Amino acid sequence: MGYQLSLEDISVHLGNEQVLQDVSFTLNAGEFLGVIGPNGAGKSTLLKVILGIIKPNKGRITPQNKNSVIGYVPQSRPMDMGNTIAVKDFVSMGLPHSIRPWLTKKEKHMVNEIIALTQIGEFSHKSISELSGGQKQRVYLAQALARQPKIMLLDEPTSNLDPAAQEQVTSIVRDTSNKLGIGVIFISHDLNLVSQYADRILYLTKGNYAIGTVGEMMKSSVLSQLYGTKVEANADGNSFHISQSNQSEPISSYSYNGTE
Amino acid sequence: MFAFDFMRQAFLAGTIVAIMGGFIGVFVIARGLSFITHTFSHIGFSGAAFAVFMGWNPFNGLLLFTTLSAVSVGQLGVKYFRRDASINVILSVFLGMGILFLALSTNQASFVSNILFGSVVGIGMKEVWKIAILSSIVFMCLIVGYRMLKFDSFDPVGAEAAGLPVRKISIGFLVLLSIAVAEAVQIVGALLVFTLMTIPASTARLITPSIFKMIICSILLSVASVWIGLTLGYYTDLPISFFITSIQGIFYISAILFHQLSR
Repeated sequence: MGYQLSLEDISVHLGNEQVLQDVSFTLNAGEFLGVIGPNGAGKSTLLKVILGIIKPNKGRITPQNKNSVIGYVPQSRPMDMGNTIAVKDFVSMGLPHSIRPWLTKKEKHMVNEIIALTQIGEFSHKSISELSGGQKQRVYLAQALARQPKIMLLDEPTSNLDPAAQEQVTSIVRDTSNKLGIGVIFISHDLNLVSQYADRILYLTKGNYAIGTVGEMMKSSVLSQLYGTKVEANADGNSFHISQSNQSEPISSYSYNGTE
Repeated sequence: MFAFDFMRQAFLAGTIVAIMGGFIGVFVIARGLSFITHTFSHIGFSGAAFAVFMGWNPFNGLLLFTTLSAVSVGQLGVKYFRRDASINVILSVFLGMGILFLALSTNQASFVSNILFGSVVGIGMKEVWKIAILSSIVFMCLIVGYRMLKFDSFDPVGAEAAGLPVRKISIGFLVLLSIAVAEAVQIVGALLVFTLMTIPASTARLITPSIFKMIICSILLSVASVWIGLTLGYYTDLPISFFITSIQGIFYISAILFHQLSR
């Protein structure tokens, strides 16, 4: 059996605000969990709780000592000097820590494999400043993979990317997850993208959540209730349109726990 | 030129400090610590003035003040210290203290000149050994911590996400930097420490995106400027610091041109 991450009744208060309440789910090896929800719903907070940056007020995460098994791609990456360095250097910085300043043959081989997997070989000698947004995201993904993680946490890796780049980045994450058996938690605002690649969907809003398979979650009725506005899904459930009219019940009254 | 002890010692000390400055400078630039480096040198001036007032070796006072301030900055947090107002206050207070210590001590004229403008040709063999030992410690620490320091310097967000002890790395680096500054002050003086710690690295950054090549390039440029500066200073009798800074300025402008042309 592969690596499993379990969250049990995780609650987080930030100031007077209840950001997460009794969130429970299990992420299996090789599983792709898409996380959706409005801004300020606690999606990034959830990742920080898993990373151990924020301590939950209540609940338990197992295994507890998981720092070395998580690869994290943060939402924003303000870099100055970092932008001027070579892609290969940037990827190799993610390798497990060592007091040896040079890379071993094995480490070089591993970096090359990750570069091939994330399809960044053609510009691996360039500096990051020369890359497009989609190429940069693939480089960040490669660096996180260099740690040989069992779980990958990606915080809106496709925001600010054009549709083609969004597809490419998400499909690489999906393929990597399948090939290496890595559990993925992928935050996005794009319902179409998430429903196309995820195995399950976690919907978060302040103090409430819902989790289920794509088929269960991506229905007009469910999504409209979750978002508190009209969401139209097409017949095969693969494309969505969110309308501005407020026709549904607000999310605060919603309670759904999918297949959990 | 090499028939004289003082020139041999100047070349030795200058080369050691140039290698160290070129190496550590790459991380100074990456971490955005140029002005903190400048502030350390002024704190060092105050420390040296304090040592003269106390009747100690100025270098020991310089090292004491810069190291203590590095630990304090590390504890307070670099972000807090990097603010304009914080730097202005600290610079002013320490310069004021330095002036007070000088006013209280009797032996000041040559000291002021040496600390502010450097005195590489006045360095004795004992100082050369001291510089060599301290540089070796700094060098060893930089090599052992190279991977972590590289990650935290060039991608702080990624390093934090990867669970690196970023605060410890920051404090450790500031202490190494304070030692390096104390050594460099003797070569180029407190006013021009900037030169050895930032210009070669900034130039190297324009030449190559590979961090390893950047370090090698920065060290070579730093050593070349010190050697040429010492040679020109010897033959013209003009200040060595002037030549070192001018040569590095020329290297930097040439690198900008190279960078523009190669794009």
